[in-house]
Amino acid sequence: MAKRDPFSEYHPLVCFLFFLTVILMGTVVRHPAYVLAGCVASGWYYGLLKGRGLLTMLLRLLPLLLLVSLLNPLFNPRGEHVLLRIFGRAFTWESLCFGFVTAGSFAQTILWFGCYNTVLTGDKFTSLFGNLIPALSLLLVMVLRMMGEQTRKLKQILHARSGIGKGITEQNSRREKLLHGMTALSALTDRALEGSIVTGNSMKARGYGCGRRTNFHSRRLRVGEWLCLLLFLFLLALTLCLGGMEAEFEPVIRTDPLGLGFLAYCGLLGVPIVLRIKESILWHILKYGI
Amino acid sequence: MSNRKRSALFTLLCLCILIPTTLILGSRLKGRWYYLTSTLIVVEAMIPFFYAFEIRKPKAGELVTVAVLAALAAVSRGAFAFLPHFKPVVGIIMIVGIAFGGEVGFLTGAIAAFASNFFFGQGPFTPWQMMSYGMGGFLAGAVFHRSWEKWEKKKLFPVALGSFGFLSVLLLVGPLLDICSLFTMSSTLSWDFAIACLSSGFFVNLTHSLSTLLTLLLLGKPLLAKLKRLQSKYGIWER
Repeated sequence: MAKRDPFSEYHPLVCFLFFLTVILMGTVVRHPAYVLAGCVASGWYYGLLKGRGLLTMLLRLLPLLLLVSLLNPLFNPRGEHVLLRIFGRAFTWESLCFGFVTAGSFAQTILWFGCYNTVLTGDKFTSLFGNLIPALSLLLVMVLRMMGEQTRKLKQILHARSGIGKGITEQNSRREKLLHGMTALSALTDRALEGSIVTGNSMKARGYGCGRRTNFHSRRLRVGEWLCLLLFLFLLALTLCLGGMEAEFEPVIRTDPLGLGFLAYCGLLGVPIVLRIKESILWHILKYGI
Repeated sequence: MSNRKRSALFTLLCLCILIPTTLILGSRLKGRWYYLTSTLIVVEAMIPFFYAFEIRKPKAGELVTVAVLAALAAVSRGAFAFLPHFKPVVGIIMIVGIAFGGEVGFLTGAIAAFASNFFFGQGPFTPWQMMSYGMGGFLAGAVFHRSWEKWEKKKLFPVALGSFGFLSVLLLVGPLLDICSLFTMSSTLSWDFAIACLSSGFFVNLTHSLSTLLTLLLLGKPLLAKLKRLQSKYGIWER
């Protein structure tokens, strides 16, 4: 199977809009079918992006989800069918279902954010907002670079300290550990601030602030990306207009019947997955052609 | 219009029109809209700070200094690898706020939270974390920025800084983060759930505020002296 993920290579605007929409819909809609569809789509895409990573993610999520779905009924005694009583409070079937739905929408938010982190890296984010918020996006780029650099410098400082016999181990007292950390941090501050003056002067000398900024990712929307964006917006409009997303859990469970709106929503969620499948089919056809 | 007036007008617009509109719209809708409404309000409350920074057109040196300090706050945990649960992040952000003023402190906190989440993963909590760290810096700046040089010679100055840090993390920065988990994890809002959320976070908040106290106590004066030198020698974030 082709390892490339076509959606990740799309214009950042398309990716950003996609994630914004699915995450917002995922946190807001509480129709069980919609939540389930969101979970399946986010899990599937996460699996496509990370492979084995999906399993570890699910293992980590599972206890949290159980906690969320079982805790909610404890605080929400409304509902018709009482399953059991804990400390005199009713634990009802309806609020348990509601708890599952809440856990589901929590899970898909986490999974979508996991995909977001892989697809929309820092440089793409700043290229998207570079002209809207020039100073802030430059700030973000610098911080992202400096975090790596300063971690490295901090390690050097700690090594140097242990080289002159001031290293720290598990045997030292808490007080010593604390003072050691503070000294290292203080040294790091000196080093980093000294560098900041040099960098600032150098930026000024090279003409920072004169004229418009350019980006590392400089590209426009291609035809295919326009089509994808339009299709996406069309599906979104269909989902929102056709409705059918309401669900009530108290006092009895009542959900809207599923219709075309749900299909549109599924299509919306499936955009990156369909693109990936299309890519791998094309790849197989090309391989057989050789 | 001067930049200051423009940013004040913008802030007023955000506070008086945007946020109430969001609140009214949010309360009309059914479903789990409260997470969205609350997060939108958090984002809208941050916009004036960012806008003020943008129209101020910061000098290159000022920009780099803020970047360095935000990165420093974000990686500062690495120096305390042997002390689990020790988080000096908010302490450092507060020191920046005291030296350079509340607005810069807010910005440093918000950017530090946002940038470190690029490594640890963005989540539904990102805007809340940005807001709470930023508020830590803003509050410290609002209280100490004007007068810290007068009080600096006093013997009790580090203690005052530390206790201020302790209280503000325990009462504001920590609870703000807990409120986010309330909105993401609960199916219906209720006071019981809110109290459970806040009390389950209490010990985490307590260790967090203790580490802020220690950071301000030990690192406060030396770091402030370094930032003051930058101010007077290179004219960075002069008042």
